[in-house]
Amino acid sequence: MSWDTHIADATVEIFSTMLMMEVNPLAPLTERIKTHQKSVTGIVGMAGLYKGMLAIHAPATAAMAITGNFLGLEVDDVNDDVKDAMGELANMLAGSIKAKLSDNSKDIQLSIPSAVCGGSYSLDYQPQQGCSMVPFESTAGRFLVELQLEQQT
Amino acid sequence: MGKKVLIIDDSSTMRKIVTRSLRQAGLDFDTILEAGDGQEALQLLAKEGVDIILSDINMPNMDGIEFLRQKSANAAIKGIPVVMITTEAGADILAEAKSLGAKGSIKKPFTPEQVSETLGGLM
Amino acid sequence: MDFAQAIIEATSDVFNTMVMLEAAPGAPATEKTTAFSDAISGILGFSGDIKGMLRINCPNQVAMAITGSLLGMEVEEIDDDVRDAIGEIANMVAGGLKIYFARHNQNIELSIPTAIGGQAYTVHSLANAEWVAVPFTLANGVMLVELQFVGLK
Repeated sequence: MSWDTHIADATVEIFSTMLMMEVNPLAPLTERIKTHQKSVTGIVGMAGLYKGMLAIHAPATAAMAITGNFLGLEVDDVNDDVKDAMGELANMLAGSIKAKLSDNSKDIQLSIPSAVCGGSYSLDYQPQQGCSMVPFESTAGRFLVELQLEQQT
Repeated sequence: MGKKVLIIDDSSTMRKIVTRSLRQAGLDFDTILEAGDGQEALQLLAKEGVDIILSDINMPNMDGIEFLRQKSANAAIKGIPVVMITTEAGADILAEAKSLGAKGSIKKPFTPEQVSETLGGLM
Repeated sequence: MDFAQAIIEATSDVFNTMVMLEAAPGAPATEKTTAFSDAISGILGFSGDIKGMLRINCPNQVAMAITGSLLGMEVEEIDDDVRDAIGEIANMVAGGLKIYFARHNQNIELSIPTAIGGQAYTVHSLANAEWVAVPFTLANGVMLVELQFVGLK
């Protein structure tokens, strides 16, 4: 199963309501990008009826611009605000997707988010069904939203 | 005579870990076959007989429970014992596996001794 | 509930049964380590009565030793086996934590593991989450097992 539409809908919705930013989904990637350069990643785990994780990956410049809009302040450094904001965005995106997948809020539960940043780092997991990566274009630059989710038996 | 085992797990690393445990458990398998999901396992079993099967539960395409269901409906392979390998499967899922013919389960983390105990009686 | 004890029990169980390497637990860390170099972090989110994230941080040489012992083969570079193995260790330790918490009437559901790796990266969790970390000394380095969580009733 592909989550492309859910990712696109949730991301456009969260960015327009919370950040007052217009973002446009581009064609979903056919092969996931696993290594990120000079970037910030917000990541949150999902558990319950569906298990997986959601991550948002943005180059440092885009992450700073997104955080600036999110918090309504000038950001010129990848500081704790940027890491918190990217973690919180992952949390909100996962929350929005969770609501699209199930009416019962107990079916899918979110962990607490973490943020990763660095000059070059990779994220790996066991390839499963239901893994999507969608790039977005915005005034802040391009960023990626990735969802890996498997329905449990 | 050497025996054949089939390991079904979507993680190739986990299949290597199970292989290592079988070796350390002193279980003498002639051939170790691997499949990445239930479907691959059924295709393999259509061509090749094995003495015992070790299967993960959560897998893409066809999970361990559906594999058990299809296997139990196929007279040619129905009799091959299956042991489930799980990390956190609940009692309900293990009961379902048992009702579909699974002969036992091994919970991760496991020692070679636990593997040998669980499998020993089935071969 | 003693979270450091939960980490020690769950981690030691995995190392004694599956990894078969000595990993001696030290005193719980008093200061956060957020920056890692030439390392791999296996992370896994969980939710339920306690929401949180487990992180197992290994210097590359420790990750290779663990993988070598787990797989019963020589491991000389950071490859998919190493990343999968550290993810699997996180999965099994989280499974042990789930059992420990259940003994204290706290039920959690697990997400799936992700392995983060790189030459230099930082990992950051929400500032308001509680944090417990226990270092484990192996023959060739120190592995840090961290638990970050909120919502303990």
